[in-house]
Amino acid sequence: MTSEAGTPPVSSSERRPLRAREAAHLLLTTSAEGGTAAVATVVGGPDGSAVGSRLARLRPHDPPGAERTLGHLGSDRLDVLAVQLLDEAMSDPRARDGIRTVDGAEPYELYVEIRRPLRELVVVGAGHVAQPMAHLGALLGYRVTVLDDRPDFATRERFPDADRLLRVDFSDPFAGVPLHERSHLLLVTRGHKYDYECLIRALRADPAPAYIGMIGSRRRVRATYVQLVDDGFATDVLDRIHAPVGLDIGAETPEEIAVAVAAELVMLDRGGRGTPLREVERVAERFFGSGGADTPSTSEEKDT
Amino acid sequence: MTHEDDRSISEALSEARDAGRACALATIVGTRGSTPRKVGARMVVDPSVGLVGTVGGGCGEAEVIESARRVLDTGAPERVRVNLTEDFTTWSPAVCGGVMDVFVERVLPDDPSISSSDS
Repeated sequence: MTSEAGTPPVSSSERRPLRAREAAHLLLTTSAEGGTAAVATVVGGPDGSAVGSRLARLRPHDPPGAERTLGHLGSDRLDVLAVQLLDEAMSDPRARDGIRTVDGAEPYELYVEIRRPLRELVVVGAGHVAQPMAHLGALLGYRVTVLDDRPDFATRERFPDADRLLRVDFSDPFAGVPLHERSHLLLVTRGHKYDYECLIRALRADPAPAYIGMIGSRRRVRATYVQLVDDGFATDVLDRIHAPVGLDIGAETPEEIAVAVAAELVMLDRGGRGTPLREVERVAERFFGSGGADTPSTSEEKDT
Repeated sequence: MTHEDDRSISEALSEARDAGRACALATIVGTRGSTPRKVGARMVVDPSVGLVGTVGGGCGEAEVIESARRVLDTGAPERVRVNLTEDFTTWSPAVCGGVMDVFVERVLPDDPSISSSDS
């Protein structure tokens, strides 16, 4: 995680106390600017005096490698352990916010929170599905960009809550939109010819975007796949494309389709399965027997 | 916490500072079982404004607000364990089935501000 060879990262540290307000601000701004930040707060320990103290590690997007440490936790030993903990958490994409216990003669409990570069939703094509999609994307906390090649479609009036509206040429749609590991693309242009051009660009993007969804019926998706293989793409590339797009909720209208796509994004982000929860939990069956509600079985009650 | 949640909490803290007020910040730092909000959810208790954000609505929030009052008074942070495992038949709002750990701290208006930081 630190560079052992090559140019050493420009690091800096400030030992003055880091308070809640400033920590919250740092987490917010660092992720909005494309960087990663983590904060440790002492929430328990042998000595009450350290409780409430904070330490932050910042990895700004620009310049890369310039790491910063801010704050102080009450002892140098604890600072060193916290920096180690935060660096590990920032480097592990599966790390979640929560309490970590720092062992030793004097165990401390540190609440660790991590903020990664803001997730982006790039909606390619500013038509009927794009409008509710931009809306839902913003609601879910994505930074939303809408692209179209027509002047009157990607407008503020039609997309009041999009962060960016760009007029692009579909032969090179992502020129002004740097794609990264937290980019989510939805291809909903007015014609499958454009969807295909954008799809090829998306598949070749490095680093690969987190999600590539493409609208289309089974027939149209199949035609796209045939074309991709004809154009020399390996068949395993097809696994990276979410098409037909969204969860199976019977969506028909543009709004319903946007909900189906939004549900798929949440599912992939949180690691869900897209099954109705009543079928996953089967509360009636598990606690009352398969028949129905007359014989409660109390012995095996267990919360998950 | 979504980016929007982060933003509204940050704004509430700045608003209190600009007005010269102390406020309390509550953070869910741990949960077990079913809880309405998860780890990371935050709420600002600003005596002049009210609540910004939520750590669970009816489910246990009253206990957190009680704690915030004490913390604003004494300045000593608290860790509150909120039990939401009351029996369903009591019709209490706290029947979600879980337990949550909430860290409550005071935020003073004269904490070092962002503008003074520079690396």
